[in-house]
Amino acid sequence: MTSSEASVPAGAAQTGGTASTRLFIRQTSGLVRELGIPAATGISLASVAVVNTFINFNAGLTDFAKSDMYLPLVAAAIIWLVAMFAYRYLLRAVPRAGGEYVYLSRIVSPVAGSMAGLGIAVVFTYILSTNAHFAAQFTPFMLSGLGAAFHSTAVANAGNHLTSNIAIAWLSVIVMLIVAALSLFSVKIVARIIFWLIVLQVLAFVVLIGILAVNSHSDFTSALATYSNHPNAYGAIIASAKANGVVFGTSIASAVAIIPFMVLNYNGVLYSYYVGGELRRPGRTYLYASAISIGVLVVLWVGVWALLRARAGLTFMQAQANLGVVNPTAYAKITSLNSVAGGLGYGMVLSTDPITKILFATAVPLAEIAVNLAFLMVTTRVLFAQAFDRLLPVNVAKIGDRNHAPNVAIGIVLVIGIGFCFLTSLVNLGNIVALQSLFFALILLAGGVAATALPMRRADLIETPGMPDDARRRWLRNVALVGGATTVLALFTVYELIAHQSVYGKFSWESILTLVIVLGAGPVIYLIARTVRRQRDSLDLNMAMHELPPE
Amino acid sequence: MLRSKSKGSKKRELRIYFATDLHGSEVCFRKFLAAAKVYEADVIILGGDFAGKAIVPVLTENGSLRAHVGGEDVTVPESEWDRLAAGLAKTGLYPVRMEAAEVALLEQDSAELDRLFRSEIAAQMQRWCDLAAERLDPAVRCIITPGNDDPVDADPVIAAHPRVECPELELCDLGPVTMASLGVVPTTPWNTERECSEDELAKQIDEMLEQVPSGQPCILNLHCPPYASGLDDAPELDGTLKPVIRGGRPSIIPVGSHAVREAIKRYQPVVGLHGHIHESRGAQKIGRTLCVNPGSDYSSGVLRGAVIDLAQDGSCLDFLLTTG
Repeated sequence: MTSSEASVPAGAAQTGGTASTRLFIRQTSGLVRELGIPAATGISLASVAVVNTFINFNAGLTDFAKSDMYLPLVAAAIIWLVAMFAYRYLLRAVPRAGGEYVYLSRIVSPVAGSMAGLGIAVVFTYILSTNAHFAAQFTPFMLSGLGAAFHSTAVANAGNHLTSNIAIAWLSVIVMLIVAALSLFSVKIVARIIFWLIVLQVLAFVVLIGILAVNSHSDFTSALATYSNHPNAYGAIIASAKANGVVFGTSIASAVAIIPFMVLNYNGVLYSYYVGGELRRPGRTYLYASAISIGVLVVLWVGVWALLRARAGLTFMQAQANLGVVNPTAYAKITSLNSVAGGLGYGMVLSTDPITKILFATAVPLAEIAVNLAFLMVTTRVLFAQAFDRLLPVNVAKIGDRNHAPNVAIGIVLVIGIGFCFLTSLVNLGNIVALQSLFFALILLAGGVAATALPMRRADLIETPGMPDDARRRWLRNVALVGGATTVLALFTVYELIAHQSVYGKFSWESILTLVIVLGAGPVIYLIARTVRRQRDSLDLNMAMHELPPE
Repeated sequence: MLRSKSKGSKKRELRIYFATDLHGSEVCFRKFLAAAKVYEADVIILGGDFAGKAIVPVLTENGSLRAHVGGEDVTVPESEWDRLAAGLAKTGLYPVRMEAAEVALLEQDSAELDRLFRSEIAAQMQRWCDLAAERLDPAVRCIITPGNDDPVDADPVIAAHPRVECPELELCDLGPVTMASLGVVPTTPWNTERECSEDELAKQIDEMLEQVPSGQPCILNLHCPPYASGLDDAPELDGTLKPVIRGGRPSIIPVGSHAVREAIKRYQPVVGLHGHIHESRGAQKIGRTLCVNPGSDYSSGVLRGAVIDLAQDGSCLDFLLTTG
């Protein structure tokens, strides 16, 4: 059965009142049984790529001396918890599926929303390529793991030939092509593929926790020695790192600077707001689902970090991650364990059966394919919205007659994404994890700004009819405060990323130019499209976003 | 000031403003009327599902009014009735003052509740038609056609009003083009007022379109969008009307009409005007036909619509989806 529309007004389907005052709802299309807390929590958790945390752990360990993840993981969770309240108000104001550009469109202005939409489309296309890049980076690790699982030295050694920048670039392109090809199937099939890829990565994560829990520190050191064919690989890596200037220990300053990477970790945890229109008692369900999801992730990630510290040791993790960067030759002489593999690599070292080896080896590439499939769908929808606003040619939104897929939009995203793949791999496009964190922080900032502006610009969207004036003022003040707090925390994240010298130093002119293009894409395309249309004497784009006076 | 549009040597002959699925939203209907002036439209068309979905019983107790709004109980002095009612009506809710005994009766008697809904919807439609007469420039034509969620009792109210046209299941001469309108949709899980099988729908569309004089360009005002057109994507539901979740997201599937798609492919009208699926705003070409679903965001008080320019020969010069 299908829903022809899901369009119950906010609160209409709620039954929280006394029996004598509840709403009467007539039988119309779109009245659906709404999603409860378990379903909403499932949506939130499925939107987070849990194994990506190892990429971010690695970024933190290599970018900052004396890194530890406890404080960043908890602080980032607090940032998302505050944002959760801001999005609750946005959800109440705009209880339909949407995103930050929809919120900006409704609350600030349609033009601002449209600008943000184009920016987000470009950002998401860039993120598609960085995810492909991550998958490519993990391909040597995947091949060595598969080689170990199938006792094939040819497969294991193949990974050694795929570590150059050009190889990574081409591998990224292959990942993009796989994602694009899968996207040409029906939405239903794509959703099934995503589901099973998510199941596999979650399984890998859970198995990793189990393996770390049942093994001891000495098990790890001896397993690493066996894996590396080096009797003291563990000590040798630490000694070599020390000799190469790697600094060990922990520092509060580093922990604070890593927070943006961990903010990226939680991205997706609030995504149940995308189905706000279908949630039972939307505000309450959304809050519970998001809080439970954040809690589960904090426990999982802090737990796995604690286990990694106990089994591998913080000093070893700092040494291993950094030696692979500062002196890859010295590192390669000690072990063949991929230096970026982190926790999954340690799991691989400890695993004794081919099934777990395959799980660990494929976890990141499969997770990135799942994430990219979901991102591609979102990106094509954002492109659709721009095409319908006539900022892009309407053919961009053309649905294929045979496969009913948006072939043109997928093609455009693919071409731009491949371009970004080469830029990311060959032109050293800054620190890609930092840039990706920055983009998500900017999206969070857009949400904070929209929530802050909500009581000032569109109080009508969240006001309860009949609410007394003093209660109304208090309510609106609370909304503004929560929005303001989210904005400040998002700004803090942005500040940490672009102002912290050790990270900022890795931004190149190319990456800054990319950022300018991304942020400026909206206004530029709008001006070009409007000018061209006016020259052709077509309908003025300004009309598309003109606020109509109801009186 | 908007300029007169042209495409090559063709000049604009007719500008249509099309909106749909207002579901009782007072603010959206007022914006709909304002759109005629703002967009300089010659004809404004409201393409179905104008009726609201919920009644809010407002209880009178000791000089106060009590209602359940947005998940909360709200109590206001009786003097605040107008403000409370206006706030509720803005988003498409029907506020009705009643005693506790009446509420209890409505809870037990679904036929009585149905009568109350029909009467509220008809009364609102009468008010809206009067408002159109009051606010619209006499040169602007106002067409309102029903959708599957609109009770048939509302049709005579529109048809009887001198200022508004309701050409349901009829051809309507718009100058350069003829418009055929139909609010019926293929069977839905909700068993709404105007539903039929795909075969019956195809028959009704054919019967209308066969009356269009040969060579006369036409546009279709069919509430249901064509199947798998990108204008009909909605959440998939299971047997209990609960959204199906796949891959951590609600599964989205096409739910449009095969009969509408076939009719568009066969007759190739200039434009197809559609609604029904609020979240599937967009424009697609099926053959030479431009199909448009402006979507609906009535609960946010946002009026979504489409401006369409037609030339003297009935061809489509340009279009724009609007958010106002």
